[in-house]
Amino acid sequence: MKKIQAGVIAALALVLSFTLSACGGGSDTIKIAYQGPLSGGEAQTGIDEQNAVKFAIELYNATNPEKKIELVSADDQGDGTVAAGVAPGIANDESIVAVVGPAYSGATIASLPYYKEAGMPMISPSATKVSLTDPAVAGEFGGPVFHRIPATDKIQGPALGKLAVSGVAAPKVFVVDDQTAYSVGLVEYLLPSLPKASLVGTDSTKNDTADFAPTVAKIKAKGANVVIYTGYYSQAAVLVKQLRDAGYKGIFAGGDGVLNSEFAVLAGAAAEGARLTGATVPLGELSPELAAKFKESQGVEPGVYAAESFDAANIIIEAIKAGNTTRATILAYIKTVAYVGVGGQTISFDANGDSTLGFINGFLVKDGKVVSTGAVK
Amino acid sequence: MFSTLIDQFWSLTLSGIALGFIYVLISLGYTMVYGVLRMINFANSEIFMFGTFATIVISRDFLGNVDGTKSLPLPKLILTITLCLLGSMLVSGLVAVFVELVAYRRLRARGTNKLATLISAIGISIVLSEFMRIITNSRPTLNPRVLEKKSLFEIAGASFRMDTVLTIIFAAVLFVVLDRFVKFSRLGRAIRAVSMNEDASKLMGVDLNKVISATFLIGGLMSGAAAFFYTLTYENTKFNVGFTLGLAAFTAAVIGGIGNIRGAFFGGLSLGLVEVYASSILGTEWKSVTVFIILVLVLVLKPNGIFGEAVQQTRA
Repeated sequence: MKKIQAGVIAALALVLSFTLSACGGGSDTIKIAYQGPLSGGEAQTGIDEQNAVKFAIELYNATNPEKKIELVSADDQGDGTVAAGVAPGIANDESIVAVVGPAYSGATIASLPYYKEAGMPMISPSATKVSLTDPAVAGEFGGPVFHRIPATDKIQGPALGKLAVSGVAAPKVFVVDDQTAYSVGLVEYLLPSLPKASLVGTDSTKNDTADFAPTVAKIKAKGANVVIYTGYYSQAAVLVKQLRDAGYKGIFAGGDGVLNSEFAVLAGAAAEGARLTGATVPLGELSPELAAKFKESQGVEPGVYAAESFDAANIIIEAIKAGNTTRATILAYIKTVAYVGVGGQTISFDANGDSTLGFINGFLVKDGKVVSTGAVK
Repeated sequence: MFSTLIDQFWSLTLSGIALGFIYVLISLGYTMVYGVLRMINFANSEIFMFGTFATIVISRDFLGNVDGTKSLPLPKLILTITLCLLGSMLVSGLVAVFVELVAYRRLRARGTNKLATLISAIGISIVLSEFMRIITNSRPTLNPRVLEKKSLFEIAGASFRMDTVLTIIFAAVLFVVLDRFVKFSRLGRAIRAVSMNEDASKLMGVDLNKVISATFLIGGLMSGAAAFFYTLTYENTKFNVGFTLGLAAFTAAVIGGIGNIRGAFFGGLSLGLVEVYASSILGTEWKSVTVFIILVLVLVLKPNGIFGEAVQQTRA
């Protein structure tokens, strides 16, 4: 019993010391959080985005402002269940005034209740599920706190369909989703856009599937020549490998969940020629000077969604620059912002949180690299 | 609905059998331990997971197979397969022995109830998987290709690939060796004796701790072999890879009759086949539903699994 008591006291002391050190920050700094997958199968997406947020903050802090900004990392592994455990901590931390993120739609839905209650302004660089800005979907609508830079899946779905079948004379399309909120949502907008009678089959695989043999068999039995996968890149890599190993020679296409440099690394040669879409433009394409500076300060090339994350962070930084230091005033600022992003276009948000940028870009995996092929029209 | 099944029947059957053999090897890990201790070794899925990482480390880091674009030359390929298979078995076997020492032996020595051991099993399982999660930052780890997945020959539309053939042959051989070993060797007899009656075998001079360690080691070796074939076929792993596969293999062991080695064989193969057939007839989203409905049916009709608990019969 004595031992247990000692243990409890030690644990309490530990908790207390953490709390004290957490309160130690001075009033000349202000915190913003980045939420996304920083570990787990999708970690590269989050790391890429967070680097861009960090870059924006470093540029701002280098100007020696009155209030310096500190970045708080919130790792939700891109997973709703994990996000529901992380978001309350961010929401309850009074010193955090805004969130860049969450990166993923499922994690956003799980985090929203906490952020809404706390009045936390949010700008996501990459969550594209349509319902997040649709007031008619009560459980998933993110207003008034949620905003996003990219175009939604309402635009991405048809664009993905168009890109996947482009140049194919008699497309036979097979669609595979991974049962996540984002993936199923994207399929909903993808299917109606496919050329008439081109859909030969669909399948729905869990997002931790190791063996895609039944799916591959179905694709072969249906004689599909276009396979569209609406999940995320780590699983897409497993699927495309097994497809190619089974002798599938057709087109493999995926949405922004697959759009990641790691996809080409994990799938190797099997990824060659894969067609991907995303509401993002490579930073290097928008501003080579900025991309060079990015590489210099972060030590890595800017990744997917770098430009969008950079813009999202900068909108919040602009708000702070304008003297807004509380969640409520920053939120009010975002509502009326007209910010000129790295792409030169003015970004503002409508009443539901959608941005005025409305494009979807196409990408191709070539020689192990994901290269942009321009807007899908 | 059945068109895919009819069209791709043999191809599906082959992949179901290959997957089934991986299940067989993992479920042997569960079954061996259960047969002796009447306890489910929940850490078996992590023992398997360590094997997958061992394979990758040996192939990628020690042997330098990092290119991954083409098949290795034959001598190097044989070396890689041998070293990876043995290394993976060894690592998994040692982890299994370690698990027994740390998580179970003391509890057993103190005569605690089964529930305490169960909690301890779950605990060590979480520790092992979190350990790997932290080391790998939860990211999937890639095994660069060592074996080109070309079809060797085709029978009725099913293409026999090198990795499939290797998995089936080696796993079948390992199973037969284990079955004979338990039946005829001295240690095998001791394992069976302990499984039938712990106290009596102790009185007959069987060193209980040694037998139990050996059982864990053998179970670990089998899971390690499964880990090698898994990594060879799917070429990637992750800290939680054991969860889904471990659950499937455990289900296979229960369907066949846990504690029964031949039951694990039957359960593993039928589970592999049911999974691919159900996925192709009903859609992949119905795979788990079908598997667990079958599990419930088996347990309702034959609570000891299809082959029954071999040991219990001798006990009664």
